Amino acid sequence: MPIRINPKLIDELELFGSEDVQNCYHCGNCSAVCPHADEVFVFPRRSMRSLQMGLERKLERSIEPWLCYYCGQCSEQCPRNAEPGETMMSLRRWLISRYDFTGLSRLFYKSWKTELAAVVLIAVLAAAGLLAYGFGQGSIHIYDGVGAFLPSSAIHVFDLTIGSLMLLFLLANSIRMWWLIMNRNGESTPWWLYLRKSYLLPWHFFTQKRYAECESGKPASVHMPWLAHLGLMLGYATMLVLVMLFLPALQEGPQIRWSTHAFGYLASIGLLVGTIYMIHGRLKKSQVQYVHSHGSDWIFLILLFLIAISGVLQHILHRIGLPVAANITYVVHLAFVVPWLLRMPFTKWAHMIYRTLAMYFAGIRREALAKQIAVADTVQQLRPAA
Amino acid sequence: MRTAVYFCQVEQGGAINVEAVAKYASNLPWVAAVDVLGIRPKLESSVLAGQIKASEIERIVIAGDSPGFFKPVFTRAMATAGKNTNEVRLASFRAHGARRQDALERAKAIVACATRAVPFPLAAVPDNTPVHPATLIIGGGIAGIQAALEIADAGKPVYLVERTGTIGGHMAMFDKTFPTLDCAACILTPKMVSVGQHDMIGLFTNSQLEELTGSPGAYKAKIRKRARRVDIKSCVSCGICTDHCPVVVPSEFDSCITTRKAIYIPFPQAVPNTYLVDAENCTYVQSGGKKCGACLKKCPKECINLNEKDEVIEVEIGNIILATGYDVLDAQKIARYGYGKYPNVLTALEFERLTNASGPTGGKIVTKTEKYDKRTKTQEWVFDPAGESPRAVAIVHCVGSRDSNYNSYCSRVCCMYSLKFAHLVKEKLHDTTCYEFYIDMRAFGKGYEEFAERIKQEGTFVVRGRSATVVESNGRLVVRGEDIIKDTLVEFPVDMVLLAVGLIPDRGTEEICRMLGVERDSDGWFSELDYNGNPTDTERGGIYVAGVCQGPKDIPDTVAQASAVAAGVLRSITSGKGLGHRSSLSLSEIEARANNLQTS
Amino acid sequence: MHNSKIGVYLCNCGTNIAKIVDCPALREYAEALPNVVVSKEYKYMCSNPGQEMIIQDIKDHGLDRVVVAACSPRMHERTFRSAIQTAGLNPYMFEMANIREQCSWVHEDTWAATEKAKALTKAAVLRVLHHEPLERMSVKMCPSTLVIGGGIAGLTTALDLAEAGQQVYIVEKKDQLGGNLARVDLTAPYLDSARDLLTERITRVRENNKIEVMLNSQLKSLEGFVGNFVAAIQIQDGRPVAETKKLEVGNVVVCTGYKEFDAGRITHYGYGKLPNVITSFEFEKMLKAGRVETKEGRIPQYVAIIHCVGSRSQEFHGYCSRVCCMTALKYAHEIKSAIPKCYVSDVYIDMHAFGKGHEDFYKRTSEVKTLFLMYGKNERPVIRKADRGDDCEMLIEVNEKLSGEVIEIPADLVILMVGMEAREDSSEVARSVNISQDKEGWFIESHPKLDPVATTTDGIYIAGTCASPKDIPDTVAQARAAAARILGKIARGKIDVEAVYAEVNQDYCSGCRMCNELCPYSAIEYDEQKRRSKVISAVCKACGACVSSCPSGAIKGRHFTDRQIYAQIEGVLA
Repeated sequence: MPIRINPKLIDELELFGSEDVQNCYHCGNCSAVCPHADEVFVFPRRSMRSLQMGLERKLERSIEPWLCYYCGQCSEQCPRNAEPGETMMSLRRWLISRYDFTGLSRLFYKSWKTELAAVVLIAVLAAAGLLAYGFGQGSIHIYDGVGAFLPSSAIHVFDLTIGSLMLLFLLANSIRMWWLIMNRNGESTPWWLYLRKSYLLPWHFFTQKRYAECESGKPASVHMPWLAHLGLMLGYATMLVLVMLFLPALQEGPQIRWSTHAFGYLASIGLLVGTIYMIHGRLKKSQVQYVHSHGSDWIFLILLFLIAISGVLQHILHRIGLPVAANITYVVHLAFVVPWLLRMPFTKWAHMIYRTLAMYFAGIRREALAKQIAVADTVQQLRPAA
Repeated sequence: MRTAVYFCQVEQGGAINVEAVAKYASNLPWVAAVDVLGIRPKLESSVLAGQIKASEIERIVIAGDSPGFFKPVFTRAMATAGKNTNEVRLASFRAHGARRQDALERAKAIVACATRAVPFPLAAVPDNTPVHPATLIIGGGIAGIQAALEIADAGKPVYLVERTGTIGGHMAMFDKTFPTLDCAACILTPKMVSVGQHDMIGLFTNSQLEELTGSPGAYKAKIRKRARRVDIKSCVSCGICTDHCPVVVPSEFDSCITTRKAIYIPFPQAVPNTYLVDAENCTYVQSGGKKCGACLKKCPKECINLNEKDEVIEVEIGNIILATGYDVLDAQKIARYGYGKYPNVLTALEFERLTNASGPTGGKIVTKTEKYDKRTKTQEWVFDPAGESPRAVAIVHCVGSRDSNYNSYCSRVCCMYSLKFAHLVKEKLHDTTCYEFYIDMRAFGKGYEEFAERIKQEGTFVVRGRSATVVESNGRLVVRGEDIIKDTLVEFPVDMVLLAVGLIPDRGTEEICRMLGVERDSDGWFSELDYNGNPTDTERGGIYVAGVCQGPKDIPDTVAQASAVAAGVLRSITSGKGLGHRSSLSLSEIEARANNLQTS
Repeated sequence: MHNSKIGVYLCNCGTNIAKIVDCPALREYAEALPNVVVSKEYKYMCSNPGQEMIIQDIKDHGLDRVVVAACSPRMHERTFRSAIQTAGLNPYMFEMANIREQCSWVHEDTWAATEKAKALTKAAVLRVLHHEPLERMSVKMCPSTLVIGGGIAGLTTALDLAEAGQQVYIVEKKDQLGGNLARVDLTAPYLDSARDLLTERITRVRENNKIEVMLNSQLKSLEGFVGNFVAAIQIQDGRPVAETKKLEVGNVVVCTGYKEFDAGRITHYGYGKLPNVITSFEFEKMLKAGRVETKEGRIPQYVAIIHCVGSRSQEFHGYCSRVCCMTALKYAHEIKSAIPKCYVSDVYIDMHAFGKGHEDFYKRTSEVKTLFLMYGKNERPVIRKADRGDDCEMLIEVNEKLSGEVIEIPADLVILMVGMEAREDSSEVARSVNISQDKEGWFIESHPKLDPVATTTDGIYIAGTCASPKDIPDTVAQARAAAARILGKIARGKIDVEAVYAEVNQDYCSGCRMCNELCPYSAIEYDEQKRRSKVISAVCKACGACVSSCPSGAIKGRHFTDRQIYAQIEGVLA
């Protein structure tokens, strides 16, 4: 049954930041230079092709976009300036919107104005709510302990509720992702493979080593993007754990509690360095992968930076004994955090989960295929020579 | 006829101030409306149709760098408005060469002609008289040779100026020529000989054009005859001088895979068939006569004069033919193919010499072997007839061609010569595997498609996909690329990689443009007067282009162009009316001529 | 004769001959042959040193006959004849043995090939013994030229000749000048106006009093020979009864162009059945009329362009038509200009964007979001009517190579890029001007590389698409090349005619006239009074038909005498 092509898809993808896909004349250079392409997953050309032809179903079931970390070698060498790297990036955005059943991410990606508006609105609401709550039950002169303006216990509950809510969304989307990728045309994968390969999840999450491979053969200075990326990732993860599980301990003060705070500081450094480096990079367009910036990229980075800086600030203010200032900064901080948390499952943030899952699935697919080939070979051998 | 003039550009205006042209256009007779629509305007035929109806327009002139890109929408508008669609006229600045300092005036003239529905060349190309019967041809490749013979055989004098020591150009280096596979030498050398013997052809090898003065039909050219330091008449090419010359340098004719001496003959069938001295490398010349001079002592005919000085001669000519040909792209620019890094990654021209019967291995296809060079005291990779023949060869198309990072254009000949290489390898080494990495198989000429099919039948593997990288792994070269038809990545271990390097304009092109006042296109090739109508004339009257220097092309097309140029020259001489310099006509003159043409 | 001295020269032709034939052995063999005083081998006999060697030997050894064993005489017989002529011998005291095309290129076993080479060489040696000196004669050159076909090629040739002051006659079959180009609106890749180009040429032709244009006319017959042709032109132009006009011309340029492939021959494109499947030329009409729309008058949302219709296929034409790719790209642009919202799919095999500015044009076409889809050379897209509810007229099924998917392309309008093919009347033309055609019907040039416009018949030239498909610049170049050749000839004033032709011995001729009918070049005239046949030597192509047929053995082929041929046969058999 022939597939009907859809020349309109390429226009839609432009909203997700794709550029010049139509220029590709398929010399295959990009796939051949890509450090991640292999005999099982040949990309980016194949993805470019599906996009040009608008093979929607094929695309939404494809795993390749997630295997690309955008080192940009393909774009650098592309003879037709078709920007394969950027195309893969935009495909990831598009996929996020496909996995997301709420349709919110689609909305956000299609117009950064909408996204920004949403963020601001929620921030304002959050701030208002927090202030009302604070003045209602405590004093702005007390940061923590009895009569605190925003007692950590309460915030903790608040955090957890939003956090877990978002986790549900994320879970739903991830299942959708799994369904699309692993259950395509009913090919079933043995369960034990899922177990066997499960080590891939933490492995890729904590090392991001695929990203490092990207830079293989590049000069040392170019490893920075990976370091920044890793710093940001781990810093973020640590901070999330701290906030979600150890918030009271984190907020306790003024004296410093190294057992927890040590992590906090490391995480903060990771976050700040990471965000600053990336913002700077995108402004200066220092690396190929920073040349094109989608609206959502800016919102992502700036918001994260503000959260980090305000978080650090309120912490310092508290420690040096300026509770009022500390409380106000804290409100600001939380006002940023709320929309951030709410956006989690629908935006770039989800990379953290989807990428890792993709690596996992890819590992499984590879092994499964290897098995099939092995079987096929034995069959070949068994067949009597005609 | 009520006319509307619309200005639409594809690129930025460049030299032309569109507003000024528009202002001029608005004052032309029957021009009812002028509209400047800017760069790549979004045009709605319905809107335009409305305008046309409203101001009762009967003729539309689209003016701009490439107005044709907008013609269909205007034609559709005229149709919707119920007008005569034949009355959509183009005023193309690019086609009629409004580029130089007189661009603005030219642009005005172009528009003026279009509003009168007169083709610009009719009104703007002047005939000038008289024309000097002699012709100067720059470049002694097949194009120069062909043009020279055509003109000289018609009994008209020709000066053929060649930079190197012999005529023949690149074609003389080739082994066989596609698709008929007859050897290049067999068909070229007779022509070279007849050039050398022709009494109407003054042959200046080892020479260069130095200065050009005068005007179309009556040019004066200064030609620098670089000292050959060997007397052409008395030298019998015995070769004793070469045997005794101590200086060893790479041989350009063998595209540097072999060496020659400082006193040498480019190749056995060279024309003129005598030796010459490469002053840059001659110890005697460089030391100002203090050192060496071995050849002087040994020459039995005493025809060597190492102190000979350059000579500048002046000739009067009526026409000039540019046939400067091409160079090939330096493959080292594209690091990922490892040319210069791995000894057995060769360029096309190197392979032509390797597989040529008169090449270093007598036509045997072998991989390079490492040899100790006593002279330089280093290990060197050289071709040795006793060397190993490759078990597998990869041929990579489009090296530096069709690539915006290098040459954005297609070099037109690579597909075919690459297929030819595959054939030569298969013919000489039956069980050697051949891989061709290509993007589009451009076998367009007479008998080419059939040739391509034949090569596939011979068992060469054609891979649709340009190979990306060449790396070395345990002693062999590994070529990596994507096989798009098979939809997989491929890695072939091979012993030899042939790079189908693209063609680039000859290094002398820019200087010639300066001297002659002709133009080059964005890729550096000489610009023709009119792409379709006059592919071999230039802006400047009496100056013609032939062969690859106007843009890559194969031998038949080059020969056709060379003869075509001869037609222009002979016409101008016999009629005494050469094609004048376009810019010589003033705007008012062109307007006047356009008016007459229109009324007549 | 038997004290005559023969020199035998063996060419290695690089490795072309040497790699199969054992040249040293052959040389020794030749040396031992009767009357052979010197025998040498050399890498390239045709090269300057090679020729010099022969000339020197003639002087040193006083040779009076020369044999060269090398490539086909077609290639280099002239070269060597002129070489021995410069050495003072009569050019016909020479014989060539073809040990390349007829030996080394077609054999693999060295021993057998060498034996055959020996036989061929011996045949040549024995034959050359019987050669007699012959004199070439030269005839006058009529300066006017006949141009067949009034397309861009014909117009260009005519102008170059006429503007050089020579008389030209243009014979055009149709009622107007311009040929196929007149059906085109814009030219690729710069989208310049084809009409302006033609108008310019035609105006100049009309204004030139050295050019006589004959419309609705065609060449009926061409008699005579180079420099002295008499052409019979049948002119219908406006007249009730066709008038035949006789013209004296020195040269003829054939510029009859091409005709487009009949798309109806490919059934699964449904051309002729599906209303909105049209050919490129029909689409040009639409563009000219400013009406890019379906038969029902709707504006198409999807347009598909299919390349290589009739070209590059096994069952129709094997060759590439060279211009369709660029024309297709041109259409993509024109459609986008006329209907910005329209989606264009371009279904191709290989994109032949090889000329100046072509690749750039291809890129531009991609930039305006033309979807390029690749199909396999030996497969073919299938067009079918779309189902109800589809938002398009037709669906094209293609096995798409770049994605490896079998896909359906929506289309409201399908443009078939029909290739070029030889005109149906080309064989007629070929016969009347006595030139040959290849299996596809294109006229054959005298040398594919170094002589692309001349033919094997002196004075007859071919230019443009009648020789093979090509685009406008290449056509113009060829047209001017032909003009150059003719101008050169005219400048020389007279022409030499081959000394090899048949002679009728008037004493033996019985006047049976058997030969008159047989002669394919009508070179034999019959003298009613004397009741004898006579050969017009300048027209005779020395095919030998008459010689072998003459019952009373009255006809002798100069340079092909019975003695010479018997000797040759003996040589081969011995």
